[in-house]
Amino acid sequence: MADEQWLEMIQKAEKKCLIQDGKRKVHYLFSPGEEMVEEYNCETDVLIRRAWRKKSSLGGEGQWDVEIGDPEEHFLNIDQVLIKESSSAPFVSRRITKTSLEWRIRNLPYPLSVYSVTAEPDSKCITVRTTNKKYFKRLAIPDLERVGLLPEQDKIQFTHNHNTLIISYQKPQKVYGLEKKILQEIKKIKTSKEDVQCTKSNR
Amino acid sequence: MAAAAAVKVQEVREVTRIERIGAHSHIRGLGLDDGLEPRHVSQGMVGQLTARRAAGVVLEMIKEGKIAGRAILLAGQPGTGKTAIAMAMAQALGIDTPFTSMAGSEIYSLEMSKTEALTQAIRKSIGVRIKEETEIIEGEVVEIQVDRPATGVGAKVGKLTLKTTEMETIYDLGNKMIESLMKEKVQAGDVVTIDKATGKISRLGRSFTRARDYDATGPQTRFVQCPEGELQKRKEVVHTVTLHEIDVINSRTHGFLALFSGDTGEIKAEVREQINAKVAEWREEGKAEIVPGVLFIDEVHMLDIECFSFLNRALENEMAPVVIMATNRGITRIRGTNYKSPHGIPIDLLDRMVIVSTSPYQEKDLKEILKIRCEEEDCEMSDDALTVLTRIALETSLRYAIQLITTASLVCRKRKGNEVNIEDVKRVYSLFLDESRSTQFLKEYQDEFMFNEMEEELMEGAA
Repeated sequence: MADEQWLEMIQKAEKKCLIQDGKRKVHYLFSPGEEMVEEYNCETDVLIRRAWRKKSSLGGEGQWDVEIGDPEEHFLNIDQVLIKESSSAPFVSRRITKTSLEWRIRNLPYPLSVYSVTAEPDSKCITVRTTNKKYFKRLAIPDLERVGLLPEQDKIQFTHNHNTLIISYQKPQKVYGLEKKILQEIKKIKTSKEDVQCTKSNR
Repeated sequence: MAAAAAVKVQEVREVTRIERIGAHSHIRGLGLDDGLEPRHVSQGMVGQLTARRAAGVVLEMIKEGKIAGRAILLAGQPGTGKTAIAMAMAQALGIDTPFTSMAGSEIYSLEMSKTEALTQAIRKSIGVRIKEETEIIEGEVVEIQVDRPATGVGAKVGKLTLKTTEMETIYDLGNKMIESLMKEKVQAGDVVTIDKATGKISRLGRSFTRARDYDATGPQTRFVQCPEGELQKRKEVVHTVTLHEIDVINSRTHGFLALFSGDTGEIKAEVREQINAKVAEWREEGKAEIVPGVLFIDEVHMLDIECFSFLNRALENEMAPVVIMATNRGITRIRGTNYKSPHGIPIDLLDRMVIVSTSPYQEKDLKEILKIRCEEEDCEMSDDALTVLTRIALETSLRYAIQLITTASLVCRKRKGNEVNIEDVKRVYSLFLDESRSTQFLKEYQDEFMFNEMEEELMEGAA
């Protein structure tokens, strides 16, 4: 099944781990120049951050693509990035808690009645729509994809508070199981206190 | 009523006309028919029939893309349209073929060695067509807003609002982006795609909802649906990048952003070797395709002997582009040596080139060119003034005569005339000296100027 594939991928990857500021930080290096970084809270063992980096097809290092946690901040000048969303535009950040998968969409000022959040099993995502046609977003759910589950409408809940739309999806048992197995895997890695990184053998 | 309409037209024009008028901005192509026969006056080109035909043949060779490392020399007196022919070739090749234009003196930079500058120029002229997944923004323009800071100095601030049928987002724009939006003349109601990484804009057409705005619709306007769903999408696109761009992306110290600032410095030879191997690999796998382009070196006599011998070798590489050079020199010293050679280029390099010569324009050609320039510079000129200007071009130089067009039209506007007449041309002819009259003047009043050579010679004679 899909969850075994993911577990196998994690097992095969070159891993380094360190504990810093009460966080367990894990760096994975997968075969075709793909990297992943995870940060777990040492006390609760909850994943607080996961980011990916892939090499672009022309070579050269890409940018970190944040799957879970707040998006990377850019300190680049607007002239260097050419075009970017204005700072008042909505942006999504993902979180995982003990019991649910969460999305927070900030900078959304419209009242709760405007939004509709639907599970779309065909495209394996959750879609956020607004009746005033100001915001639309397809949210992928990598955690469900990894265990081979499709999103279900009755597991979705959403609220709106402080300009933020919070969507939570009840964590299925299968996801819970996989997380546990991976955590066991990670705890096997020898940890160090210093900054380490997997050697870039493919370079 | 009619006057009001005319004023309105004028306004629209000023908004849309942002490009400035350059020396060769009237050129749109080589002006050849399908059989490569040059038309006498076409696409901004006039006369130089044999040279244009030769350029057309070279163009076919470039388009086929099979032949690497050929060199073509455009030789001719000053003001005979060498650069114009090169520009026309660039226009005719289109945007997907890399065309790098440089002046011979550009290689003398303190930032990098001469051969590095040449290598970069050569690698900028070789394109690689490759499929890549990029993030694009696709939407209908709701509003473009560009503000200049109140102080008048500093960067402009731009905002672009885009929408799809489902959503709307405001984007902040960098200066380069503002410029390219202006250049593409993007306005509200257009449906555009923007490549987020490279900033490349393509206009897909106008939105159907704007189909009734008749003033903004030209005869070739295409109407498209407003895009659906999310504004940002990941899409596989085929695009052409140059070898130099791949070099820069892969040279660790600089990264992708160096491309935009233009500050790339020297690139290590190992990086280039790696890239060459990689590209060859992609090509074998059928992932990429090489698009050999054109390197145009103007004022090529400014290169020195080291550059020439480097070029000799570089042209033999199978990845070399077609190199077009232009010079206005006759038999002269090769820079960096005491030897003389035709066009200031060593014989062994000359031997590898095909030489296309341009000849001085005839009177009627001059008249055509001046007429085209008058149109380009938005100047109404009477027939007899044009004849006088043609005579001036014949006796002094074409460039001098072209300089007089806008100056004369300004003089004409000051006296509230509608059309430049002979008097205006005479006026500017007396106001601005051409090269030969200036020389004449200097010869007459030599001793009244400071540091003049004659005095020096006299002093030396006295000592």
